[in-house]
Amino acid sequence: MKTIVGIAAAVIIAIALGFGGWLYLGRDPMSFAAGSTVSLADYKDASVAGVPKEIAGAELAKRGEYLIHAADCLACHTAPGGAPFAGGFAFNMPFGVIYSTNITPDKETGIGDYTDAQFLAALRQGVRADGEHLYPAMPYTSYTYMTDADALAIKAYLFTLAPTRAPAKQNQLSWPFNQRGLLAAWNAMFSPDERFRPNTGQSPQWNRGAYLAEAMGHCGECHTPRNVAYALDNHSKFAGALTAGWRAYNITSDKNSGIGDWSDEDVYLYLSTGHANGHGGAAGPMGEATDNSLSYLVADDARALVSYLRGIPAHATELPRTVTTPASASHKEGPTAAEDLRGEKIFAGACASCHDWTGVSPVTGYATLTGVRAVNDPSAANVAQTVVNGVDRTIPSGRIYMPAFGEGYSDDDIAAVANYVTARFGAKGAHLTGKDVADLRKQAAQ
Amino acid sequence: MFTLTVNGQSHLVDVPEQMPLLWVLRDHLNLVGTKYGCGVAQCGACTVHVGGNPTRSCQLTIGDVGTRAVVTIEGIGDAPNGAKIQKAWLEASVPQCGYCQAGQIMSATALLNSTPQPDDSDIDAAMAGNLCRCGTYIRVRQAIKNAAAKPA
Repeated sequence: MKTIVGIAAAVIIAIALGFGGWLYLGRDPMSFAAGSTVSLADYKDASVAGVPKEIAGAELAKRGEYLIHAADCLACHTAPGGAPFAGGFAFNMPFGVIYSTNITPDKETGIGDYTDAQFLAALRQGVRADGEHLYPAMPYTSYTYMTDADALAIKAYLFTLAPTRAPAKQNQLSWPFNQRGLLAAWNAMFSPDERFRPNTGQSPQWNRGAYLAEAMGHCGECHTPRNVAYALDNHSKFAGALTAGWRAYNITSDKNSGIGDWSDEDVYLYLSTGHANGHGGAAGPMGEATDNSLSYLVADDARALVSYLRGIPAHATELPRTVTTPASASHKEGPTAAEDLRGEKIFAGACASCHDWTGVSPVTGYATLTGVRAVNDPSAANVAQTVVNGVDRTIPSGRIYMPAFGEGYSDDDIAAVANYVTARFGAKGAHLTGKDVADLRKQAAQ
Repeated sequence: MFTLTVNGQSHLVDVPEQMPLLWVLRDHLNLVGTKYGCGVAQCGACTVHVGGNPTRSCQLTIGDVGTRAVVTIEGIGDAPNGAKIQKAWLEASVPQCGYCQAGQIMSATALLNSTPQPDDSDIDAAMAGNLCRCGTYIRVRQAIKNAAAKPA
């Protein structure tokens, strides 16, 4: 009997250790790449970190401004309509709501009293000035790869801003998630706490792209799925995930569910402008990432990101291959013409004038639905979110606008039209219900 | 500087690339038959034909028109279906206040061009995006049917 219990205990412990090891092995975002790594000081080209050569001679805060765009601090540290960097943006997690904090140089409510060492600890180890742990909603497991010089340039830029008085909003977390101390254990497992190490087996351009994607842009925080401990699972690196009610798509080199079939130019255009003809435009969080961050990158940096993305191992997911042929010009032809009258009726009245029955917009390429991943995603999450929230982006060539329909249409209406649009223009129709739409609204709420 | 073909006539207009076609038509070419309604492509009052397609001119920028020919309410009567629709409109006394009617006529003409004998569902699919606050929808439907019944 004792032997059986002993064997069972040993098996359980072995499985637990194996599982823990598996989770642990998923934390390194760059381990997929062939080649060995060296410290940045030992690498032949130190410019894989830092600012591009165009502004290498600029003053510290100016360099920090470029880097803070690259690291996209603004998007999460600004509440809708609030002062820039004053915090208050809500993260709706399964276990409660976390709010971003004020990183303006206000001495009482911001980071005005932070020393350089305290700033580095917060940014890269997730430890704030009073020694308490930050929640990893702050992507310190990504920023940890940032160099001292770049992190302090960002701090220098932040300290040129006007201090805004904005006390931290109280997080709404249930026990045990409200125990910050527990994050010490989480960090031991999932926080690499190491600086970027260039890979000598890859080109300097790839390494620059890796630095921008991992240490700065933290793409994986939305595009990489999370494990049971809510840490990034880089076994499925960039394979896509649902974040804040929006689908961050599979951006691996898989030809069907990823971006393996996109041309380099299309990836470049999508990153730098938030749109590529035939692939649609970025909306929601990716629209913000483009407008606040990626569009500020110099062309060489955006190309470096393309180079890095091209090397991400293919990872097939359930997302079907994108349909690239337009639908019929007649409303009568199409998969759900007879089934979903409510969705079709709404489409006829509110959508067809810009998106057309074919899906190819007579108005602008930004409104073309043919080939767009959102309408080829059978979860229809981003279609529903776009219908609810609309699109309102300002890009260098003008304003990209779609009205928000969330106030005027019920959840059932929005589900019906999302189901219709995915069936008509995409690979597989969605089956959203009004309740699903209500959930999606809640996840994206601020 | 853009070259724009409207109702068969070529115009040179010096406007910003982002200006909606509607403003070019109304403010620069003085073609004021096309109306501004909602400004967000939700009411249909500004509908014109661009490259033969009914298009909301409040959302289409001049930069995106390209070489496509534009036809407005001022020129639609020169096309056989346009003339037929206009006549049917008069015979059925479709308009009430009239504000949306230029857009209604443009959408109805495009419908007859693509579907010479439309049934009710064709009419719904083509006309649902053209709102009429006077509620002339029943007469709109009847006039389209009357026009379709006339010989070409």
